[in-house]
Amino acid sequence: MLGALADPKRRRAIELLGERPRSAGELAGELGLAPPAMSRHLRALKEGGLVEDGHPAFDARVRIYSLKDGATAELKQWLAETEALWSHQLAAFKTHVEGGA
Amino acid sequence: MTAAVIVALRVGVSPDVAFTAFTRDIGTWWKSHPLFQLSRKGDGALRFDPAGPGGRLVTRFDDGKEWEIGAVHHWLPGERLAFGWRLPSFKAGQTTEVDVRFETVGDATRVTVEHRGWDGIPQKHVARHGFELMLFQRRLGEYWRELLKEMKTGF
Repeated sequence: MLGALADPKRRRAIELLGERPRSAGELAGELGLAPPAMSRHLRALKEGGLVEDGHPAFDARVRIYSLKDGATAELKQWLAETEALWSHQLAAFKTHVEGGA
Repeated sequence: MTAAVIVALRVGVSPDVAFTAFTRDIGTWWKSHPLFQLSRKGDGALRFDPAGPGGRLVTRFDDGKEWEIGAVHHWLPGERLAFGWRLPSFKAGQTTEVDVRFETVGDATRVTVEHRGWDGIPQKHVARHGFELMLFQRRLGEYWRELLKEMKTGF
């Protein structure tokens, strides 16, 4: 799933799906995306193994997206922590290397 | 399940200089962060030992004990550096991989860190700092703002 989370909209979609499952339309509305763009992001997230879709019991016409495996709170935490770590370290590296050391 | 984190930053030096500083000076530029420490003993002093292909990324803690973070898998000066990443809190067999790319962008270099290979590291390990989820999300927001700002300045 390399790159599946490189896009901020996808990260936000993951955060929203971490709260509860949502339809593509709901996600598009919250992210301010047009439906085709939302479909593209959801496809990337599905192919990346982060998201799955299904139908609610009451209506087979509705497609609901949710985070896969239920292990996602941990995953999200790992992602957030690892990002914060490297963001911090790369900033320190930039200061160092541009300081002429 | 595997996952990847990608963080990029532009630095105002050539890829060769960036690569050399990244590897040779990691013990200097790596700054321990109270919220993201590598172990309970802190981060220690990091180094590539020996420097070059076939080396390892090692850290030495204040008490003199050393920890091998991971083996170097790619060492291409000015281009790419890849190494394994295991922290003392990981279980046996659990490992992640860090891939660092150095690319010319005008007269600067884009340094991209890709950290991947999450395989269900137990929550009590990754979450040992006891973060509140909201704090994470706020940090995440701050991070993206920072990154976007960086991108605006010519990334």
